[in-house]
Amino acid sequence: MTTTPGPSRRALLRVAALAGRALLVVWVTATVVFLALRAAGGDPVEAVLGGPGSQAGPEAVAAARAQYGLDLPVWQQYLLQLWRVLTLDLGDSYARRTPVLDLVLSALGPTAALAVSALVLGWLLALGAAWLVSWARAVSGRLAPVGRAVVAVVRGWEVLASVLPHFWLGAVLVALFAVGLRWFPATSTPGSLAGLVLPTVTLAIPLAGFLGQLLGEGVGDAESRPFATTARARGAGPTRVFSRHTLRHAAIPTVALTGWAFGFLVSGAVVVETLFGRPGLGRLLVDSTLQRDVPVVMGAIVVIALVYVLLTVVTEAVEGLLDPRAATTGEDR
Amino acid sequence: MRARLLGVAGWAALAVVVLLLLAVAAPDLLAPGDPDATDVTASLHPPGWGHPLGTDELGRDVWTRVVHGARSSLGVGLVATTIGVAIALVLGLAAGLGPRWLSTVVARIVEILYAFPTLVLALLLVAVRGPGLAASVLAVGIATAPGYARILRARVRGVAVSGYVTAARLEGAGWWRRLTRHVLPNTLWPLVVVVTLGIGQAVVWVAGLGFLGLGALPPAAEWGAMLNAGRVYLTTAWWLSVGPGLAITVTAAALTVLGRALGRVSPS
Amino acid sequence: MRRLPLLAVASAATALVLAACSGSPAPDPSSPSDAASGGSTASDGTDAPTQAGGTLVYASGDAEPTCLDPHVGGNYPQALISTQYLEPLVGRAADGTTTPWLATDWTVSEDGLTWDFTLAERTFTDGTPFDAAAVKANIEHLQDPDTGSSTGYLAVEKVTEVEVVDDRHARFHLSEPDAALLESLAQQWTAMQSPTGLARGMEENCLAPAGTGPFVVTGWTPQQQVDLVANPDYVDATGEAAPPLLDGITWRFVPDAATRYAALVSGEVDVIDNPQPDTITAAEADASLGIEHIDNPRPGSVNRIELNSGQTPFDDIRVREAFIRSANPGPGIEALFSSTAVPSFSPLSSVEPVAVSREEQFTYDLDAANTLLDEAGWTERDADGYRTKDGARLSVRFPVSTNQSVPAEQALFQQIQANVKEAGFEVVLTPLDLGAWYAALGAHEYEAVSAPYTKVGPDVLRILYHSSGTEPAPSGYFANHAYVRDAELDALLDEASATQDAAQRADLLEQAQVRILEGYYILPLYDQQNHFLVRGVTGIDTSNPVATLSFQTASLTD
Repeated sequence: MTTTPGPSRRALLRVAALAGRALLVVWVTATVVFLALRAAGGDPVEAVLGGPGSQAGPEAVAAARAQYGLDLPVWQQYLLQLWRVLTLDLGDSYARRTPVLDLVLSALGPTAALAVSALVLGWLLALGAAWLVSWARAVSGRLAPVGRAVVAVVRGWEVLASVLPHFWLGAVLVALFAVGLRWFPATSTPGSLAGLVLPTVTLAIPLAGFLGQLLGEGVGDAESRPFATTARARGAGPTRVFSRHTLRHAAIPTVALTGWAFGFLVSGAVVVETLFGRPGLGRLLVDSTLQRDVPVVMGAIVVIALVYVLLTVVTEAVEGLLDPRAATTGEDR
Repeated sequence: MRARLLGVAGWAALAVVVLLLLAVAAPDLLAPGDPDATDVTASLHPPGWGHPLGTDELGRDVWTRVVHGARSSLGVGLVATTIGVAIALVLGLAAGLGPRWLSTVVARIVEILYAFPTLVLALLLVAVRGPGLAASVLAVGIATAPGYARILRARVRGVAVSGYVTAARLEGAGWWRRLTRHVLPNTLWPLVVVVTLGIGQAVVWVAGLGFLGLGALPPAAEWGAMLNAGRVYLTTAWWLSVGPGLAITVTAAALTVLGRALGRVSPS
Repeated sequence: MRRLPLLAVASAATALVLAACSGSPAPDPSSPSDAASGGSTASDGTDAPTQAGGTLVYASGDAEPTCLDPHVGGNYPQALISTQYLEPLVGRAADGTTTPWLATDWTVSEDGLTWDFTLAERTFTDGTPFDAAAVKANIEHLQDPDTGSSTGYLAVEKVTEVEVVDDRHARFHLSEPDAALLESLAQQWTAMQSPTGLARGMEENCLAPAGTGPFVVTGWTPQQQVDLVANPDYVDATGEAAPPLLDGITWRFVPDAATRYAALVSGEVDVIDNPQPDTITAAEADASLGIEHIDNPRPGSVNRIELNSGQTPFDDIRVREAFIRSANPGPGIEALFSSTAVPSFSPLSSVEPVAVSREEQFTYDLDAANTLLDEAGWTERDADGYRTKDGARLSVRFPVSTNQSVPAEQALFQQIQANVKEAGFEVVLTPLDLGAWYAALGAHEYEAVSAPYTKVGPDVLRILYHSSGTEPAPSGYFANHAYVRDAELDALLDEASATQDAAQRADLLEQAQVRILEGYYILPLYDQQNHFLVRGVTGIDTSNPVATLSFQTASLTD
């Protein structure tokens, strides 16, 4: 290596690289959305005039077109939308005539609350399962068959959990806990903690299934590594081995997948929010796509993309902390 | 020795998969009736004689529909996963074997694909292409590609710099030879585990699209569509959900277990 | 040392979950514990103890309105909610006659071009007086292109000017006689709002229109709910002071039908709309649930399948009849809807007094269908059993709007698909979202479609079956999906629209309906379904002309 740039310069380059990445993601997603909604059929001006199939007269249509710049050539409309996105102006919703930014930000809160709760719960369930397996494997002697049975059950549950469709799981939970036992409400409103439970569980269970399987793979792999066998030889109990050594090594690939988990949660939120009648980004996206409300769809997807990029950066930093190897190789991800 | 290779669970899973393939190839062997035959006088009958899994709201036999639905449902999973793996292969191999800048570009493409949540992408695609399984399958394929790509790229990198590949290069083997004889066989096998998981997932995602009102065209006996239709009658006609639900779960579970078992058998 | 944080997090999470559990089960802000009601059903108001006050919670499955002012756009969800805070000029009795509301009296000139309305004395909730100037402002708002009205402006299409004679008298000048004017003015989409409110501009007025209704909009949390409070100064159509018994209404948006019903059963909400047919049957069967069923069919058209007579194969009346004779929707309706939907044989809703029903034209007759198709030249069959002619298959594209067709209805279409297959028709059912569906219709990519149309009065026949209905609006939308272009029918409908003689109008419209039915352009299914399930509420008013519910006289019984 020749001259290494100074720390502040390096930081600056890092920030610039990050900004570049974010901009690229935003630009591509915005373009894809614009093209997709244009190709999706239906005139966007209908969104202004009461939705698809509007019977509004020619003067109303002309007025709406002029007001929203929909009479400009397509490439100009595209650039206008792009500019709006970059300056975070995002314009007004065609259908609601309120600023898109307001709509998206007010929807972001409930979705974030739901996603974070689900992520935490999912992680806890996955960790719990992984610990259980680790303990069960370490059991020896007469209890060994019990240990093996526990492992089989946990493994089976993880596989099952990961293939449960959200809409179906949610319906079953509502039937059991909202109508049957009346423990939790069937509909969910932000601000109500009780209302958060069922949607969170619906999202968390499949996620836990996935994370659990991945964690399980990583744990199995780690426990056969020299550091684990050495620790056990030194008399360390299974829990200690698990939390101090194994978990750390298994966590790396799983933390890396938190970015993916975020995408999984947003997809799940689309279904869960509609199912439980809960406001949020997912529901906003579905409704706006159906109405061909281009600014809202674009604004929402751009926000999601930005959050995703942010999350990626954070997880990469965390990975670097967990595994110094990843940090020093300087590999780009 | 052979029996030990897959383990009990592995063999059981293999048996299930064979049964599934039979349902795909020759459904009439397992369920001789017509899956689309309606009989409104037999609407919503619980499981019983003649109808092991009951009938749906139009009097169609659920068992027959589940068996005949294997073709489209499993097909959905297979095609979507194939699309995803194909995209991932291109991306992963390019990133792993190509020059540094290509690796960066691929990383960015993967990042962008990741930024689109699966269902959102599917929603847009279905809005553009119209309904039917084609758009859903395409969407799920594209959405799952980055996941496979990440795994592939790491693996490919590892293999590409490994001893035997370097040796092959020193021996003068061209990149195609290196690719086909060394890199591919060592990178694809671990993918099997993930792919088997992915097939089950693809079926579930397409079912989710059905919930949003997009997906298989009626009267297709696709498991996800059936599960979605059955959800409406969850408390009154629970058997409508059991059939397709079990089918999806058992399929995905069997594929996962089989994949894992095969993964343990990997040629080193 | 690492163990501790893990355990701490785990116990914290458990504590959190337990705390949520121990909170009040199924919170229902509107009513106190329902254990006190003593098990009486809500339908019998005399037995159930009613309480003053309380907030009624309504959960709607329809799309959330994008603007609370029904002048803008104009769809049914807007009608549902605006019934609580806006009132139209006139009302409509069950026998179809117009009743006074905000207008107490009216006369029409002999040539039908001038209408004089006498207005009631009212004040809008923002203090502005209701007078002729207000009426003028409202009609102008409807006709203003910037408002973007899609439904209301059609209703007042023939109004050229509203003249302010004095405060209590408004004069409508028309370009042509319009026999349906009163019916059009009875709709929520032409309801009266405060001109001061309108003058605030659309962005503000969309959030909280000011009307004369029993409730006032106080807030709107998008995707979640609209909050309304009672209007203490409310005066009803007879001129009596009649403030609502409720304190307010929480209008929530819950798109999923199963969740909506679960919320009703668990007590979280008091009224739901768009219930699934099987939940209606279950609710009626189990008295202990305490759920009451309100069946309020929408006025205007009946729910029907329209056959596109503008292109192959339905440009041949024999093929249309064959389709209709082989469809046999009756048993399907019976099985899928139980008793909640009654098969219809008329182009008009059963609430329209002039509706003509011809059951004999829609009997199931597979043999007749086959004969007709043979006569029409579709004599060959291909390998799958579908008829062909000159190499083309007898294929019917049937786009289905998943937003407008409930699962039971979509299943019914599948049943019809299976039935007509026996006669050799191939039906391709395509579920589409609303935008794609309208796009397919606008592009004529359909042979059969089911499109609802709610309008007060039989004038809907003119909109749906007059040849002018095939001309598209700028959006590409046209209402005459059956593509009926029948000069004689046009003449009947035009005459009916112009005449001021009620008896003559009724006669002309009956003739028109017979022509429509005999042309086999449509397969009537059932009334436009408009069901509500209610729990713990009594005194709901179902008399609104567009069949929405009004909670002005409602009270909670729990």
